[in-house]
Amino acid sequence: MMTLGVITNNQYSVFQRNVIAGARQVAEAHGYSLVIDSYAEDEAHPRPITLDYRRMAGVLVIANAAPPDLLRAIYRAGIPLSLVSHADPDLPVPAVFADNTQGIAQLVRHLVEVCGRRDLVFIRGLRGQRDSDEREEAFAREVMRYNLRVPPEHLLAGDFSAEIAAASLQRLLAAGARFDGVVASDYLMGIAAVETLRAAGWDVPGEVSVVGFGDGPEAEQAGLTTVAADVVEQGRRAARQLISQIEGLSMRGITLLSVRLVVRGTSVPGAQQTQ
Amino acid sequence: MPPGGSPYRMNARSARNKATHRQLRQHNQQLVLRAIYNGLANNRAALAQETGLAKPTVSELIGELIEAGLLVEEGRGRSTRGGGKRPRLLKFVPQARHVIGLSVNDDHVIGGLSDLNGQVVAWHYTPLDEAHGEAVIDVISATINGLLAQLDAPLLCLGIGVPGVVDAQAGIVQYAPHIGWHDVPLARLLQDRYRVPVYLANSTALMAMAEYVYGPADQVASFVAVRVGASVGVGMVINGAIYHGGGEIGHLRLATHSPVESSADVTGRLVTFLGWPYVRQRAAALRRAHPDSLLPGDNAPLTYLHIHYAATNGDPAALMLRDELSRSLAQVFAWIIGLLRPDHVSLAGPIADLGEPFLAQTVAYARELLLPELVQRVSFSLSTSPNLVAMGAIAQALHLELGLV
Repeated sequence: MMTLGVITNNQYSVFQRNVIAGARQVAEAHGYSLVIDSYAEDEAHPRPITLDYRRMAGVLVIANAAPPDLLRAIYRAGIPLSLVSHADPDLPVPAVFADNTQGIAQLVRHLVEVCGRRDLVFIRGLRGQRDSDEREEAFAREVMRYNLRVPPEHLLAGDFSAEIAAASLQRLLAAGARFDGVVASDYLMGIAAVETLRAAGWDVPGEVSVVGFGDGPEAEQAGLTTVAADVVEQGRRAARQLISQIEGLSMRGITLLSVRLVVRGTSVPGAQQTQ
Repeated sequence: MPPGGSPYRMNARSARNKATHRQLRQHNQQLVLRAIYNGLANNRAALAQETGLAKPTVSELIGELIEAGLLVEEGRGRSTRGGGKRPRLLKFVPQARHVIGLSVNDDHVIGGLSDLNGQVVAWHYTPLDEAHGEAVIDVISATINGLLAQLDAPLLCLGIGVPGVVDAQAGIVQYAPHIGWHDVPLARLLQDRYRVPVYLANSTALMAMAEYVYGPADQVASFVAVRVGASVGVGMVINGAIYHGGGEIGHLRLATHSPVESSADVTGRLVTFLGWPYVRQRAAALRRAHPDSLLPGDNAPLTYLHIHYAATNGDPAALMLRDELSRSLAQVFAWIIGLLRPDHVSLAGPIADLGEPFLAQTVAYARELLLPELVQRVSFSLSTSPNLVAMGAIAQALHLELGLV
């Protein structure tokens, strides 16, 4: 029984792919193999989750891929369980998150203190998903801290989708909104915002600075200012958490990974250094 | 019994000698490590000069530290003026050990896993879920276990901060009402479980340590942190070490001109003017008097940031509340400055979210209560950085275990 099960909706999405890559590194170093139940690769036609969790040494669940009932069943069966970017308040099962609160705080501080921006737009992720909710709450706190101008219509739907983020921003631009900074709840939506603004003739970062949460090769390519939340590392940490439980260490609560501001050219002209 | 005394006595003495020898060696190791860590010396000859220890002793200590992985030899320096061999250079390895610093808070336990530079690689947060008594130890253990899963190097030691009355020397929490603790030998319990040294201190003392080590104030000999949240606490660092006094002061009574026109007893406890439950109650009362207030309604969440935001936008109710809190806190500042004459006072805890205008107003009111000569040389700062207590627990553990920081 040296197999770890992974439940995910789609193993080929950017976040999920990187989590699995990290988890695989640690699992293999400890002599475990991974079995992946990726049940919603065709988003329109998800199939049922079929992972035979009773045969697993432990189970890793990515985001909210497993319904609460299944999480409870796995927990009650005594199978060690770790959650990635997801938590169930009624289940004493540990999880691994990026530090969303600190990350958003660093992005907003950068926009205010370094870029001198005060009229911000926020592109939110998927409501009800914990990463997304924590980032939106953190943004609201920073708006109060710095007394920024963010009218309700500047809080845009993005659903962690570049297309939806771009469409929301286009509607805002069409309505003639004025703003000088954009904070996106993830970097793919941040890149979409940069492209949308530039296509509409805006000067980024001359007229508006754009930042997004999380980092990846695409963000580097696009020169997007981000907070680096190393998703591969999150996968590694989650696998270590799971294997430690299999080895008998009892834990619950949340392991938070520190994030790091990476300043690039979408917020500060000509910038390409790490702070 | 053999002649000349009990074997027990002999054993006790030899054990004592052993302990002394071990302590001496640990002390000398700390001298060497600290000199390298602080960049004062990076080779054997310079270390002997810097520490005043004999060269063979230094060489032996360095051998032990290299063996332990705390030092590496890296390259050679310049030869001395008299010629001779170029000395081997020594480098400190901050990743050689990990340290865990923990904080028992109102509703959760948080721990940080750090290298020897105080660089935190992971945090772990476990809700208390209203745990009391022994159940709190389990929450602390769950937090430590969560971090042990992420260890990249052997664990050197644990530091932990608990709010309440703490005997740091004995490692005993004498009184921590919110978790129902009386005389809990926390350091020993954790030491038995995790087999590493455990350093316990009062939360606010550790907050002061964190601010002293990692905060903005430079070159200060005496440092005070005032924490205001659910209650009020004071922590002190004097000449680089925690002074284990202060702690919770929310029960102290201040009998001066209270600005509060509500029914609160003007000779009441500090916590009834400054503690969060009072602030929430007072905000609700002020909002009823000012129906257009920007402060959130009765069922909406309220934080110090909401008060700060409303006050910044000129909201009369929020301005009044902020002013009242300033006046109450100014009395605490005045007593501390009058008694201790510290170089620096840092305002920490949730109330720090009220921001710079609040601190400036509080200092201005404190000036009115003090001889001008007393307050002139004191500097002030605001600390909004999160997890200060756990950071302080890391700093304190590094300070006591390795002499670093």
